[in-house]
Formats: sequence, structure tokens, C-alpha cells
Amino acid sequence: MSLLKAVGVIVLDGGAPLLQPLSLHLDPGEPLVILGETGSGKSLLAQALMGTLPPELTARGRVAIADRVLDTGSPDRFRGLWGREIGVLPQEPWLSLDPLMRARAQVAETHALVRGLPRGEAAARAQADLAALGLAGAERRYPHELSGGMAQRVAIAAARAGGGRIVIADEPTKGLEAGRRDDVASLLLSEMGDTGGLLVITHDLALARRPGGRLIVLRSGAVVEQGPSRQVFAAPQDAYTREFLAADPENWSARTPRAGTEPAVVSARDLAVSRGGRSLFAGISLRIAPGRIFGVTGPSGCGKSSLGDALLGLIPPDRGTVTRRPGDHPHAMQKLYQDPVAAFPRKRSIGQTLADTVSVSGGNSADVDGLLDRLGLDPTLLGRRPGAVSGGDLQRLSLLRVLLRSPSFVFADEPTSRLDPITQARVIRLLTEIAEKDGVALMLVSHDAALIRNTADTVLSLDAAGTAAISEPATFGTPVAEALT
Amino acid sequence: MNAVVSRLVQAIMVALLIGTATFVMMRSLPGDAAWRIAAGRYGYDHVDAAAADAVRAELGLDGPALPALLQWMGDLAWLDFGNSLVSGQPVMDEIAHQLGASLSLAVVAILLSLLIGPPLGILAGLRPGGVLDRMLLVASTGLKAVPQFLMALVLIVFIAVQMRWLPAAGHGEIWHFILPSLTLALGLAAVNARIARDAMARIADMPFWRFAQWKGLSERQTLFRHGLRNVSVPLFTYLGLQFVTLVEGVIIVESVFGWPGIGHALVHAIFSRDVPMVQGTALVLGLGFVLVNATIDLAVRRIDPRVTA
Repeated sequence: MSLLKAVGVIVLDGGAPLLQPLSLHLDPGEPLVILGETGSGKSLLAQALMGTLPPELTARGRVAIADRVLDTGSPDRFRGLWGREIGVLPQEPWLSLDPLMRARAQVAETHALVRGLPRGEAAARAQADLAALGLAGAERRYPHELSGGMAQRVAIAAARAGGGRIVIADEPTKGLEAGRRDDVASLLLSEMGDTGGLLVITHDLALARRPGGRLIVLRSGAVVEQGPSRQVFAAPQDAYTREFLAADPENWSARTPRAGTEPAVVSARDLAVSRGGRSLFAGISLRIAPGRIFGVTGPSGCGKSSLGDALLGLIPPDRGTVTRRPGDHPHAMQKLYQDPVAAFPRKRSIGQTLADTVSVSGGNSADVDGLLDRLGLDPTLLGRRPGAVSGGDLQRLSLLRVLLRSPSFVFADEPTSRLDPITQARVIRLLTEIAEKDGVALMLVSHDAALIRNTADTVLSLDAAGTAAISEPATFGTPVAEALT
Repeated sequence: MNAVVSRLVQAIMVALLIGTATFVMMRSLPGDAAWRIAAGRYGYDHVDAAAADAVRAELGLDGPALPALLQWMGDLAWLDFGNSLVSGQPVMDEIAHQLGASLSLAVVAILLSLLIGPPLGILAGLRPGGVLDRMLLVASTGLKAVPQFLMALVLIVFIAVQMRWLPAAGHGEIWHFILPSLTLALGLAAVNARIARDAMARIADMPFWRFAQWKGLSERQTLFRHGLRNVSVPLFTYLGLQFVTLVEGVIIVESVFGWPGIGHALVHAIFSRDVPMVQGTALVLGLGFVLVNATIDLAVRRIDPRVTA
């Protein structure tokens, strides 16, 4: 007996189908993972199953949950299921908790208002729920006093307190550090137990692999492959699935590191940086030669980005010196930002923004056309505003803008953390190619250690305490970088 | 503790600035101050040059300005506001008498504005771009653009004169409150309706709003459990700034409706060049501003645990 059975669910934008007819069922104790890149329609599927599609989209198809059969075309009827049958683990759990309410109250209100328990009993149940998730002692804290992982556990307790047996998690690792992905998967599995249902929607391969159960791979709104998770991961049948799995940085073939004997484009000696009065790191010395990739990795808040900003001169170091290659124009030092949407003016077309860059750098518009071609971008993108361009295309357009200044050093700050694996692999490949062919010194920062390990010539690992470790092949005659701590 | 000290320092600075500024302004007004003071004491019909000269000699108005100002500040340190030049009574007594009337008017006006503005704003913010939202935008922009004295006159003309529902002026009975407080409240509500509307629209777009509904809460429960408290933070914060509008409005509205409050007294004191009264009244209003803002800071800190600085 399935907990949830969906038959022939489709999503339409006017007349255009965004999601092809899809059927699925959720059985007790067997997780179902929907894997797909951005724009594959996986979130639309979740929204159709919950009745939360934006009003301009319409859905068709039937969903049977508990003893009810609902039509996805009339989403209002789904509201009664929320909390009572379906618990949703929200994206970005921090933002999903009321900032002015203590942790226990956010769970207790579901017990009281959804299940109708008296206040005292609701509070006691909430206390027990939180304790069961290892949150004893945190019940009186406000959300801003919780870590991301704790907030997520509070959120799942609140979502499930209404008694729903089915948990839907739509990109539950968004906004969390890579190191927390396994915790999220364990949390979801233990919440499911033997009798609950679990639907996980993600583009994160590490998360998709963990729960086991069954897997559906979506692409452009259509199912390309489905089956037992273990089997699909071990022996993918479809070419697209294979490409997707290969795009996991863990599975990349490592680039052969190259030593750098030429004079460094940028170098630092005994660098120390602090932010907000807290020392991030001290005693870092490094040099980056033309055409070399200097990778930096570490947990969030360890000072990865601040190191790059200090090299660019965007923040002053506490101690130490940064030296640039003599003769380089100041504009030859460029930065590629993490969130491309925020890096473009919102209300201007991308073409206009790029034309501005061309005019201040004294180039001509043919430069843009040449680069569009080189980066594999469609010229019609220039007419759009940043909000109407996919993340991967926009990040390549940011790269195009950086290249218009003929950089000698590029600091790429988590350039792919908001992209799905396939797009990420494409953008990193482009960056590598540009470093090698144009002789650009590239500093690549990512929280993903595998990505850095398989891409960079030299790797600097920072940890939260500010300790730095350098690794590079011993065959290099001249060290490309060194750490003095 | 630090906050209390910094507020005290702020209060002292405000007192010194207001005292000096009002003194300088009063001294630089054109016309013969002695003549005006004499007129205030005896009435315009009974003033002649001799009476004015007598006042001038009595109050030492020909004397240098600086010692007079320092004298006033010295007295102030002992909480002595001086005596009114017109009535001869201590300024403190006069203000204490008028402050009650003004405070009751201000409190009624604020309560009334909170009954009108935020509920409409919250309803509009729940459906941004809807009919109510657009109507409210027009209404609040219009109301905000109407000066207080004009609003007072419009209300008098329609409600008191044409309809004869309420008295045009007066003080002492409960219905005397309605027109002056409504005049003030409409101006305040025009602004706090917008604040509430923007806050509500922003909150209804936040993930925690959606999540509350996913937990199984109804629209109503979500609003009462998660909407109101979050909307109240910007609303309270803004109330401190609105106090300026209120003081400004009180002066005008009291004069129009003949309300025997501090604003009314201030206007009269200016006409009759009663410098200690002007200084005293302005000081009380200024310190009131500091007090109100300090109270609101404390209230917001209680509601919103994230505010620490």
C-alpha cells in the first residue's frame, strides 16, 4: 500500500509543457530521490504534488494520498494535507523559522494548532521532539542563535509535528555547507523510519546517493532513467545519467599539475587578515605564476574569500605584503563573484552592461562577439536582463566581462557553488582552459575539496582555526606557493 | 546600563541645544519685546510706551544677552525653569498644567491612528497589488499631503459646522477629543498604514511565512502567530519618528481647536515674547522626544531578540 501515488502529473506554462506526464509512488520505508539539474522540472514536480505551483502555471494529473484522491489541477484542495499528511523540509532552514519565536514554540504551535493538543501537552511534546533530535538545551533559543544544522532539525520537528507520515525535502542542502550533507541524509532517513515516506529532490549527487531506495533522473521535464538507486549509480543506462554522474567533482579525472617558473603575477609574503576583529589566518606566503591554478579550500568562514580579496587589495591585510607583477594595469586584477545575479545591474540588459565595460576599457564590440563564440554563449542572451538568464549562462557572461579587461590574475570566488554539477563542470573546464591558453593566473576558491583537488596545480587548505596547509607535487622545482605557519 | 548613560548624555545635549537655539531665535525676532510682553500682561488696548519701558526696566531686556542665557542655564541645573514674563507664575507650574491636556490628546491620537492604519496596512500587504492596496496607496498619499491645519479646518467645516455632529472647539468633555485627535490620527495613520503594508508584504514573501502554512497552520493562524509580531517591529521603530509629526501637529491642532495644551501655550508664548515659557515648552517637547525614543528602543529590544547593539 503506497503512501502517495501520483499518476500522469504534468505541468503546463500556458500551453507549453514544462513537465511531461510522470507517475510515481512512495512506499513506506523506501526513499525516492528525484535527481536533475536546474530547469529539469524537479521542483515543479514537488510543487505540483503539494499544490504550491505559482498561479501562472497549471498542473494536471491525480495524486492519491492517504484515503484521498486529489486533482493537481485544483491546488486549493491540497492545503488540508499540509502538516497533517505531508511534512515539508524547507530549503534554507534558517530563513524558514520565525526569527522572533523561540525554537520550542515553533514546534509546539504545530502540536497545538494542527493536532489540537492543549498548550501544556503541546509544549511537552515539542520538548520531547527536540530532545529526540539532540536539541535538548536549545529549546529556548531564537533561530539566530542556532547553527544551520540545528535550525534544520528544528524545522523538521516543526514540519512533522502535525502527524504527516510523508516528508518532502526540496533541495534540503541548499545554503548548508558541504560537510553537512551526510547529516541531512541521516536525519531524513531516521525521520522516515520503517513506516514513513520520503521524497528527496536535489541536484546534489552526494545527497542523492546516500538514502538509497529508488531514483528518478529528470531532464528538461522528462524522465530519462529510473530504478533502484544503487543500480542506477553503479551502472547508469542513459547517456545523460552517465554525464550527470561523471560531473561529480569526486569523479573528475585529475588535471596534471604544472610547475611555474615564470615570474609571479601576484605574490604575498607573511599575510595576516582579520574580519570584524577576529583573526582569520596569519603567516600565509604564496606566489601565483601565469597560467597556473591556485586552489583554496576550507569550511565556510575560514577566510578563503578574504585571502583573495586581500590579494586584490579590496581589504587591507593586518600584516604582510602583496606584490603584483610590475607593468600590469590595475584592471588586470579581476574577480569572478559567487552569485552572478548580484554581480550584474538588475534593470539593464546584459548587452548594455557589457557595452559599458567595453567602452571603459577602450576595446570594441567585436571583442564581445569573439568571446561569446569562445565561451559557447548564445548572442540573444545579450538582450535579456540578468534575472532572465540561467545561473550557468550568467556565470559564463560574468567570465566574459572579466575577460574583456584582459586580466592577468582572476580570483574566482566559489564561482560554481550555485550551479548544478553538469553546469559546474562546464564552467570549471572553461576557467581551466582560459588559465592555460591565455596565461592567466587563476585563484580558484571552493568549499568542495574534490573540485579543488582535481583542478588546481597547488592547493591551499584552510581550516576554521586559520591553519593553512599547502599541497603540490614534489616534482616542482620552484614552489608555486608556500605556507609559513 | 550603557544605553541609559548615553540617553542621559543625549538628553543633556538636547536641553542645551534647545535652550540656546530658542533663546537666540527669540532675541533675534523683529519688534519690541518689551511692548509685546506688556501687551501680553495688560492686553493690547492698555499698552503705551510707559508700560513698555517699565517692563523693559523690570526684566532688564536692554542688558547683554549672554549673562541672561547663562543665568537661565544655571537655574536649569537646579531644575528651575524660571518664571513666565507674562503671568509671573513659575514656568514649571504652567507647563505641568498644560502637559496633561497635550499628553491625553497625543495618546488618544496615537491609539486612534493605530486602530486605523496598521489593520488596513496589514490587509493591503497580504494582497499586494490588490484593490485595497491600491486604494490605500492613494488615500495615504493624499492624507499625508494634506497639512494638519487644513485637515483640522476640513473636519470642522464638515463635521462640526455642516453636520453639527460635534463641537468645533472646546475642552473638558469626551466628545471634544474626537475632532482634534482624529486630525492628528489621520496624518499618523497615513504613514503607519504604509509601514505596516510594506512590512506585511515583505513578511508574507519570506520563507518562514510559507513554512508556517506548510506546517498546517491556516491563513489566520499564520497571521496571528507569525505576522503581527514581525510587523510590529518596524511599526514601533517608526513610531519614534512619528513623534516629531505628532509634536508638530499638536502645536497646530491645539491652536485651531483651542485646546489648552503645551502647543497652544508655545504659540502664545512666542507671540508675547515670553522667553522662559518658550524655552521651557520647547525643552519639555525635546526631552519628551528623547524619552519616547528610549522607551521604544527598549520595547523593540524586548520584541526582537536580534537587536543587541
